[in-house]
Amino acid sequence: MSYQRMWKTPKSGGRSASDESAESYYGVPPIHKPHWKWLIIAYFYLGGISGLSYVIAELAEVTGDATNRVITRAGRYVSLGTLLPCPVLLILDLGRPERFLNMLRIVKLRSPMSVGTWVLVIFSGFCTRSVVAQAARDELWNRFKCAPHGIKAIQSRWMGVAGVPFGFLLGGYTGVLLAATAVPLWTKNALLMGPLFLASAASNATASITLVLCLSKAPHRALVRLERLEMCSLVVELGLLALNRRQLGQTIGRPLREGSTGRLYRFGVQGTGIAAPLMLTVAPMLAGMRPSRWRLALSSLLTLSGGFMFRYVMVIAGHRSADDPQATFELARRGSQESTGSVTDVNVHPVAPS
Amino acid sequence: MPAAVPHGFYTDTTVCIGCKACEVACKQWNQLPASKGGAPQLSGQSYDNTLRLSGTDWRHVKFIEDFKTEDRSGGRWMMMSDVCKHCVKAGCLEVCPTGAIIRTEFDTVVIQSDVCNGCRACIAACPFGVIDINPANSVAMKCTLCYDRMKLDMTPACAQACPTASIQYGPIDELRDRAQKRVATLQAQGETRAQLYGADTSILGGLNSFYLLVDKPEVYGLPANPELPSRNLAASNAFSAIGAAVMGVIGLVSFRKRRMDRFAQQGNNE
Repeated sequence: MSYQRMWKTPKSGGRSASDESAESYYGVPPIHKPHWKWLIIAYFYLGGISGLSYVIAELAEVTGDATNRVITRAGRYVSLGTLLPCPVLLILDLGRPERFLNMLRIVKLRSPMSVGTWVLVIFSGFCTRSVVAQAARDELWNRFKCAPHGIKAIQSRWMGVAGVPFGFLLGGYTGVLLAATAVPLWTKNALLMGPLFLASAASNATASITLVLCLSKAPHRALVRLERLEMCSLVVELGLLALNRRQLGQTIGRPLREGSTGRLYRFGVQGTGIAAPLMLTVAPMLAGMRPSRWRLALSSLLTLSGGFMFRYVMVIAGHRSADDPQATFELARRGSQESTGSVTDVNVHPVAPS
Repeated sequence: MPAAVPHGFYTDTTVCIGCKACEVACKQWNQLPASKGGAPQLSGQSYDNTLRLSGTDWRHVKFIEDFKTEDRSGGRWMMMSDVCKHCVKAGCLEVCPTGAIIRTEFDTVVIQSDVCNGCRACIAACPFGVIDINPANSVAMKCTLCYDRMKLDMTPACAQACPTASIQYGPIDELRDRAQKRVATLQAQGETRAQLYGADTSILGGLNSFYLLVDKPEVYGLPANPELPSRNLAASNAFSAIGAAVMGVIGLVSFRKRRMDRFAQQGNNE
């Protein structure tokens, strides 16, 4: 059985094995891709929403007035709701799920996954505190007749603020984790990956809170505050995406331009996920009107779908770049001054069809 | 018990005959299962039916057919037995969140398969594509440089089986001396392309399993100058922190009362 070549696009298809052997070892990828699939993509998505929802909720709490309290309330519940599936997704993804506790054997700052595990553990504590405090404020405990002891002790707003760094970490470490690999598409722009995932998590978290508030008939003032935040993070995200793609270059950035991931990146991530929500909300604002509740809900839905597609595209495009020997070789040529001159005359460019 | 000094492999590809005895010996000693239940599989790529290192193939002989010139006058076969490089600065070891990957007293890198939980961080971190999941036990596995044999002062199975001494095992300093002499001999005989890959500290602090090649590394499917995957970790974290700080400020500003409320007020008046 021959090696199944995953790298097939309309532009590069139809190349024979001898073409590929001229440029690499029979087109066999020199590195392994990490096989992270749906569970991890879903975790990246939910973890980002959870972390940044928490951040938004606690920032709103600190600046607190009645309007912000509405945001705080929704943000805290959204944060817990999206956090709950995260550990399950991560554990299910392990080759040996029953050994998940081995992650807690050590603390290793050089390992983004170890850092992420501990961030998740600590953040869970902060998130639970926030929700317990919120439930007390909403008088939910009275309804269940089980007011927890010492509820007063954890109601300080500064305890919520103390968890904000962990919320940011949960939203951004996933980008750093992908950057600290040998996969060309992820590691080429190692510096951009963290901010990119953070910005996307911020827009998704804002969108999910907006959506909840839209559906629960919250005052419009709260929605407008969130809307401005969502637009800011979408614009930042768009800028970072453009910068990222430009810096990737021809070979390494290929999965973001060609094939199914390229299409999804253009129309899904950039079009549906960023451009469309921006248009939906900016257009009425330019006309001097406030965007209607349904318009905001729709733009939030689009942002949320774009956030999921962003993570899907980044993971799958990473797999494709790992499967492309030329991308790996180009990455390894970077910064090697003495060897650059000697390897450029290897048949780097595809053999021209005769 | 041999002296606890860095040990490794020196693979001289010029004398490899592609017999695959190393692959077989490795599979036998480490009790690695055959892929696809042992059904014959032909890749169609030269004599190479393994194609790459994996969780069940810890040694892999590459067959490079170099017949690029028109008249085939310079044509040649190159065989190379590939294995884990046991990097001095090992990316896999750095990213492992469970501490399953350890550095031994012989400066080799070993995955403790009873600790690994199959998170696959190391698979993505390895710049040589060595590590993969072994489907038999669902944990990441790779060459251990026969750690169990080393502790008893035995030669690793592949080096023991190699009939042409293409794979040589020993203290790394000794191997480097031997390899440099071999390169000098080859150069003197007219093979000017002879070069060592990973014998000095330029690649990931040095590879404890290094190679004598007679072409550029990329011809053998080896990256020219791979770097540590976590080299940008500090800068990456700093950028993320700056991003987080900016977002925090934007958040605080948008939750401020005055301007936003005036804006909303405008909307309500319509």
